[in-house]
Amino acid sequence: MIVIEGLTKSFEPTRRQRHLALGDLSLSIAEGEFVSILGPSGCGKSTLLYVVGGFVPPTSGKVVVNGKAVTGPGPDRGPVFQEFALFPWKTVLGNVMYGLLEQGVPRALAESKARALISLVHLAGYEDFYPKQLSGGMKQRVAIARTLAYGPKILLMDEPFGALDAHTRTGLQRELLEIWERDRKTVLFVTHSVEEAVFLSDRVVVLTRSPGRIKAMIDIDLPRPRRRAELLVDRRYQTFVVEIEGLMDTQGQGRQ
Amino acid sequence: MSLKVASASAVPPLLACLALLAGWEGAARVLDINGLPPAYDALRELPAILSDREALLNIAASLRRMLTGFVLALLISIPVGLAMARSPRVAALCNPLLMLIYPVPKAALMPIIMLWLGIGDASKTIVIGLGVSLPVIYHSYQGARAIEEKLIWSAAAMGMRPAARLLRIVLPAALPQIFVGIRTGLVLALITMVTSEMIARQAGVGSILFNALDMAQYASVYAMIVIIGVLGFVLDLLFERLRAKLVAWAEPSHDIAVGTA
Amino acid sequence: MSAERTWQIVLGMLPPVCLIALWHGIATAGWAPAALLPLPSAVFARLFEQLHNPVFLQHAATTLFRLFAGFGIAVVVGVMLGIAAAGSRRLEALLRPLLRVLAPVPKIALYPALVLILGFEHASKVALVVADAVFPILLATYQGAATVEPKLVWSARAAGASPRRTLLTVVLPAALPAILTGCRIGLVISSIVVFLAEMLTSTDGLGHLLIYASRSFQTVDMFVPLITISLLGLLLNAAINALQKRLLAGFPDAG
Repeated sequence: MIVIEGLTKSFEPTRRQRHLALGDLSLSIAEGEFVSILGPSGCGKSTLLYVVGGFVPPTSGKVVVNGKAVTGPGPDRGPVFQEFALFPWKTVLGNVMYGLLEQGVPRALAESKARALISLVHLAGYEDFYPKQLSGGMKQRVAIARTLAYGPKILLMDEPFGALDAHTRTGLQRELLEIWERDRKTVLFVTHSVEEAVFLSDRVVVLTRSPGRIKAMIDIDLPRPRRRAELLVDRRYQTFVVEIEGLMDTQGQGRQ
Repeated sequence: MSLKVASASAVPPLLACLALLAGWEGAARVLDINGLPPAYDALRELPAILSDREALLNIAASLRRMLTGFVLALLISIPVGLAMARSPRVAALCNPLLMLIYPVPKAALMPIIMLWLGIGDASKTIVIGLGVSLPVIYHSYQGARAIEEKLIWSAAAMGMRPAARLLRIVLPAALPQIFVGIRTGLVLALITMVTSEMIARQAGVGSILFNALDMAQYASVYAMIVIIGVLGFVLDLLFERLRAKLVAWAEPSHDIAVGTA
Repeated sequence: MSAERTWQIVLGMLPPVCLIALWHGIATAGWAPAALLPLPSAVFARLFEQLHNPVFLQHAATTLFRLFAGFGIAVVVGVMLGIAAAGSRRLEALLRPLLRVLAPVPKIALYPALVLILGFEHASKVALVVADAVFPILLATYQGAATVEPKLVWSARAAGASPRRTLLTVVLPAALPAILTGCRIGLVISSIVVFLAEMLTSTDGLGHLLIYASRSFQTVDMFVPLITISLLGLLLNAAINALQKRLLAGFPDAG
């Protein structure tokens, strides 16, 4: 579904400095796979997401999605950001309807679809609220609903639960899996948290410190559907977590 | 700003000036009306005006009045702004009065002030001073208000008395915003000066401008406009250089030109 | 109302009240001839009288017409250019040096030229208002549009909006707080400039009334237009405030 080849990305914050965020990274992701990207701060994992999303052009290398090269953003790859990025001047309903309206869906139909999604993320009744009146967890649910509204085949999630407290976080993780189980979209999920990555994903990709390259890929073959209470006491889950945390701890500069 | 970047950034404005002059020339030829002489004719008048001793003295006197009013205003306005920021009582005292004065064009006070003080320097200087005061007070106020309380607390904890805190903590931290206010004040000083002279019609660049208008010396009118424009540009440029040097550590300011008197 | 708030209002009214009292004192003490310094009561009485005088109101309406015409044009031009410049590097590179050169030039100096080209009627004054007001509006719009959170733009583009649609549906609303700030400044500038222009060359309007009164040494009539423009400025400011509250309903309150 997603094929990344030899991707490098460098930034030039000033004329003299150059920061290599990603160095020669190659990765293939199958359709319907839930892949987490883990790594220390500044390893370029968000950058990887942005390149796949078409928000940031690569310095060299290719990203091919569904057979077509990525040249810009599009409704086939829907982002969900850590800061929610909701439109503050629109209500919850307005936010969720945005993508549908931009795609030319008639207003009445767009509204009913939006309302269905708002119910799906357990926010029925909040349609006319403004984002500033919502808690962090609620805002993120709106953001997810807004992205789901325009039906992307791929979800690009950039530490979506990073700004939330632990309890809200685990709740949203469960809700995300419930939604994902419905149509098994391809998900690229960037996170800091090893536990979160193991809990959610089919595969975990660990990046090295900047310049980010692939340090390791671990298949998480735990059975689905996954329940937190069961997994927390599951030996295999715990082994995965320990193993990956160990990988994160021994990060050195550059390649292994 | 490195020298290379500074000189490179001088090119676009020069190009812009040339483009404006070219546009002027073009429009004049197309419109072909008496009231819009071609740029070349106007520019030809410049040497005549600039070599006229009396005109030069007039211009110099204008600038002198402007700077006097400007400096006096600064000396009063900056402390007022700072005081307003540090004391909500002072702010409550001054704010409504300032809000009443703000929409009044200071140059419009000229007729009344001229009745009281005659047509000499004093009336114009006062009006210029008034025009400059408001933006300087406002920006000094905003600049001092935005200082992190923690800075002040640390200083107080270290035993600094209020006067010292004002001078050594509040003033430097507010300096970038104060300079934005001063820059705006400079622009306003120039505008108020020109306008008050246009109204008083007695001396200075503004009066030369309007006299030329009355005598239908159109080319001279435009030449004076160019002179005033250049004055404004040069003053602003010099001030920006000064400001960049003095508050180099501050973020670049995107100041919205507060504009006229 | 809290005690602190009451105290603030009282303090705020103090300087104007004191000034008027001082004014009254100087006028009654006879330190200045009555011709030069009329009693404040005389001025306010005249103001009240004029506000019911259709001729005066006609002049005020003329001033307001020129003000809003100029301001309206400045808003349309300034916002359009500001948004467009934020979306196009090329346009921004074109506009930036032009603005850099023109911004510090006192536009009032252009007024004689405008009169020569556009005549003595409304057009030259409206043009001057536009020339003065467009700068703060354009700059504020550009700044607001250029500092829009990129993730908002990305969210819109991913949702399927074209770059043009994104400018219209995301950048413009996101820049609205900045635009309104620029408009507020632009409105004050408009009222100031239109008044000055009327003082310099006009046969009608509030500014003209001031000059006319000064020529006939009617000091009371000189104060009236000044106070009117001040009150007008306050009203317009309050109007923009109200507009801000309505338009920016969803935005988190600025600091």
